[in-house]
Amino acid sequence: MTIAAARTPGPPTVRQHFGRTRVMGLSIGVIGLFIGVVFGLGSRAGSHTSVTWSPVNLSSAVPWHLGTLTVPTRLSCLILGLILVALGAEVVVRRPERGVMARFGVAGIFFLFTLILWTGRTLGPSQVSSINFTAILIGSSGVAMVLVYGSLSGVMCERAGVVNIAIEGQYIGGALVGTVLASTTHSFIIAAIGGAAIGAGLGWILAFLALRYMSDQIIVGVVIVTMMAGLSSYLNLQVLSPYPQYNLGNLAPPLAIPLLSKIPILGPVFFNQSGFFYAMMLLVALVSFGLFKTRWGLRVRAVGEHPKAAASVGINVVRVRYINVVLGGAIAGVGGVAFMAVQGQFQPGYTSGLGYIALAGMIFGRWRPSGAVVASVLFGISVYLAENLQTYQIPVPTEILQMFPFLITIAVVSGLIGRVRPPAADGLPYQRD
Amino acid sequence: MTKRFDSLVANDGIDLVVEPGQIHCLLGENGAGKSTLMNVIFGLLRPDEGEMLIDGEPVWFTNSGEAVRRGIGMVHQHFMLVPVFSVAENVVLGFEPTKSFDRLDYAKARDDIRRVSKEFGLEVDPDAIIEELPVGLQQRVEILKALDHDAQLLILDEPTAVLTPQEIDALMTIMRSLADSGKSILFITHKLKEVKEAADVITVIRQGRVVGTAQPTDSEGTLASLMVGREVILTVEKEVRSPGDDVLEIRDLVVRDDRGLPAVNGVSLDVRAGEIMALAGVQGNGQTELVEALAGMRFVESGTITLRGRDITNKTPREILDHGLGHVPEDRHRNGLVLSMSVADNLVLNTPRRAPFARHGSRNLNAVRDNATQVVRDFDIRATSIFEPVSSLSGGNQQKVIVARELSRPLTFFVASQPTRGLDVGSIEYVHRQIVRQRDEGNGVLIVSSELDEVLSLGDRIAVMHQGKITGVVEPTTSRETIGLLMAGVSEEPARA
Repeated sequence: MTIAAARTPGPPTVRQHFGRTRVMGLSIGVIGLFIGVVFGLGSRAGSHTSVTWSPVNLSSAVPWHLGTLTVPTRLSCLILGLILVALGAEVVVRRPERGVMARFGVAGIFFLFTLILWTGRTLGPSQVSSINFTAILIGSSGVAMVLVYGSLSGVMCERAGVVNIAIEGQYIGGALVGTVLASTTHSFIIAAIGGAAIGAGLGWILAFLALRYMSDQIIVGVVIVTMMAGLSSYLNLQVLSPYPQYNLGNLAPPLAIPLLSKIPILGPVFFNQSGFFYAMMLLVALVSFGLFKTRWGLRVRAVGEHPKAAASVGINVVRVRYINVVLGGAIAGVGGVAFMAVQGQFQPGYTSGLGYIALAGMIFGRWRPSGAVVASVLFGISVYLAENLQTYQIPVPTEILQMFPFLITIAVVSGLIGRVRPPAADGLPYQRD
Repeated sequence: MTKRFDSLVANDGIDLVVEPGQIHCLLGENGAGKSTLMNVIFGLLRPDEGEMLIDGEPVWFTNSGEAVRRGIGMVHQHFMLVPVFSVAENVVLGFEPTKSFDRLDYAKARDDIRRVSKEFGLEVDPDAIIEELPVGLQQRVEILKALDHDAQLLILDEPTAVLTPQEIDALMTIMRSLADSGKSILFITHKLKEVKEAADVITVIRQGRVVGTAQPTDSEGTLASLMVGREVILTVEKEVRSPGDDVLEIRDLVVRDDRGLPAVNGVSLDVRAGEIMALAGVQGNGQTELVEALAGMRFVESGTITLRGRDITNKTPREILDHGLGHVPEDRHRNGLVLSMSVADNLVLNTPRRAPFARHGSRNLNAVRDNATQVVRDFDIRATSIFEPVSSLSGGNQQKVIVARELSRPLTFFVASQPTRGLDVGSIEYVHRQIVRQRDEGNGVLIVSSELDEVLSLGDRIAVMHQGKITGVVEPTTSRETIGLLMAGVSEEPARA
C-alpha cells in the first residue's frame, strides 16, 4: 500500500518549492486546458451532444419533463474548460486557505461530465441517441453510497489511530451475510444488522491483534481481506451455488420521499433511494457531529493524535481504539450489505477493490466525513462510468477510468497536490510504559 | 517506596515529604530514578513496596486520571499536549464540560480558562492552536491544564530543558507565585543553578536512593558531590591553543525541516583548524538541521558548505565521510547505531566496504573482530562481549561506541551533536577529553549542545543560534546573561531602548 509509505516525513519535495496551493491551482488549470483542447477542439465544429434528465427509477409519473437538451459539443467543452482554467488561475493568484480541495473536486466532476459530452457527440443536431444524465447519476450514487460507508469506517478507525485496511474484507463479509439473511428473512433490516455484526467481528480481530499484540495494522488488515476473499469463494462454491435459495435476487426497493423526490434532475438521485442511502446520509451527519462537536469525538481525536497525552488525563486509549475499530468495522459491514442490495446478489470478487477506493476516498477527504462524501461522489462516478461506458460506446479504454481514483489518491498522498495530514499517531501501536 | 524493573532496582526505599506552599526540588543525575519516582506518584507505574499518603490518607493510583482527580498535576518533559488542538481543547481534555447530547461546552471551557489564567497570572489565548505557540507558552498551557484540574501538587519534570534563560526566569516567577498561593511544587532537575534559585527544600537522589537533603544555601560543589557521590571537576581541562586556517566554511546556508519550513535560514560560519566551535541555542532552533546538512543527511536548499577547500554541499554522506568528516549524531538510537547489530559490527558501520574489513565485496570478519577487540580496550567500552547487540549496552557505552568508531580513522573535521546527552559524569569526562584531543591534533571541531555549561567549558568560540540564524559568535568568557539574550534572539548590539 502506498498509503503507509507516504506518511513518514521525507526530504523537501517539489510541492514545497512551489507551494502546495499553487500546484493544486496549476493542476486544476491543466485539467481545464485538457478539457478545452482534447474534448473541445478535439470534436468537430458542428458536432452536438444530446442529454436528457429522465428519472428512470421513479415509478410514478413526475410532474415535470425537461425533454432533450442538445448542446454544441465543442462550445460546451471549451466553456467548461475555460471556467476551470479561470478557477485554477484564481487559486494560483489568490491562494485561498480553504476550499482548494473542493475546487479540485469540482474539476474532477467537470472532467467526467465533459468526457460524457465528448463521447456522446454526434455529427450534427440529432435526437437519435441521447445520454441520460440522471440515469448516470443514479447509477453512480449506488457506488458512491457504498464508498461512503467504507470511508466513514476508515475515518472512525484512523481518527482513533488504527489503520483499517480491512474495509474490503468487511464489505465481502457484509455482502455474504447480507444476501443469506435477506434471502431467508426477506428483511433488509435484519440483513443490515447481520452485516454490521460480521463487520464488527472482523474489526474486533483487527483491534485485538493490533492493540493486544501490537501487530502491524496494515499486515493484519491485508490478512483479513485475503481471508475473507478466500472464505467467501469457498462458501459461495459450497453453499450458495448448490442452494440458490440463500442467494436470491435482493434489490433494496427505493423509497420515494414525497415532494422532495420530484425536484427536477437531482430529486430522483437523492430522494428516491433505498433505506441504505438514507441511513448513509444520517450516518455521515452523525459521525461528523460526533467527531467534531462532542466530548466523545474530542477524546477519539486526542487518542489518534497523541495517545500519551490522552492517557495522562485518564482516558483509556486501548478502550477508545477498541470501540472505534469495532464500530468502524460495523459501518463497513453495513456498506457490504448495501453493496449486495445494489447488485442484487452476492458473487465472489464483486467488490473488486472498492474497499481500497473507499480508503483512498478517506485520504482524499482528509479524514473528515464531509470530505469522504466529496471523494466518494467523484470516485463513485468514475467507477460507475468505467463499468458502464461500453453501453455508451465510448472510445476510451475503461481501464483508464478505473485507474482514476487511484491516480488521484497517489497524487494526493504523494503531496503533489493539496496537503493531507493524517492523525499523528495513525497506525502506531500504543504501549503504556 | 520501592520499584523494580526485573533485576534493576530503579527506586530503592525512597522517602519524600512535600509540604503545602513549598517548592521541593528533586535533584539527581540522568538515570538516578527521578522519572520513575514521578511516574509512580502520577499513577503511570505501580510500586512494588511502600505507601503514599495524601493529607494522611493512603492511596496508590492505577492510572493518571485518578492522580489528577486527587489533585496531582504533572508537567511532563515532553508536553502532553495535542499539537493540532486549541488551548481550550487541551486544557479540558479528560474533564470536559458538556451540554446535551454529549456536546462540548466551549463557552464554559473558555470562561474557566480565563478565570484560572487571571487567578494565577498565566495569560494564554484559549483559542490558540498549540503547535503555533512558542515552547514557553506551551509549557504555560501545561501548567494551566493542571491548575484547571484543581491540582494541589504540581510536578514539573525537567521543565527548563527546552526554555531560553529568559523563559526560565518567567517560569521561576510563576512557580514562586503558585507556591505563595498554597500549591505544592515538586521540581525535578539536574541543573544545580536552578535548584539554588528556586528551591525551598532539596532532596538529592542517586542510583534510586535518597542520599540526602540540602538547603538552597549550600554551595553548588556540595550539591554536585551529593548528586554524583564524589567531587567533580565542573570544567574541562584544556590548554590554550592557537587555531590555524579555516577548515570548514559555511556560507548563507538554507535548510528546511521535515515540515518544509526553513530551519536554517542564511547561516554563515567558519571553523578553524585546532579550534572547538560550540554551537549554543535552545533546542529546535535549527542546530539539528544544520548538522544534518553538514553530514549530507539533509537537502541544502541554497548556500555552500566547504570542507578543506572542497565543496561538500549536497554530497552523499559516503562522499562526505570519505572526505574526513567524523559525525556523532544527535539521536544515537536512530542515526548512530543499528541497535540489533553487534558491538563489533557497529564499530565498522562507517567503513564496512573498505579494506581490511571487506575485500572484493565480501566481509573479512576476522579483521572486524580484531578491530573491535582493540577499540573496546582503547576506548574502555564496557560490554560483556563484542558480539552482543549494542542495544544491551548502557547509554554511556553506546555513545562511546559511536565516538570510538568516528575517531578511529583519520579525520579532518569532527562534528558532535549533543555528545553527552544522558551520560553519567564519568562518560561525560571521557567524551570531553576525546573532543579536546581532536582539537589538539589540529582538526576542526563543531559541538552542538543545549547545555550551556558544556558550551562554555568546551568551546574556544561560541556561536549562538536562534530561529535558524546565528545571532552572535562570542568568546567563552562571555557572561551567561549575554549568551542567554543571544539565545532569545536579541542580537549582539546593546539594546536600543
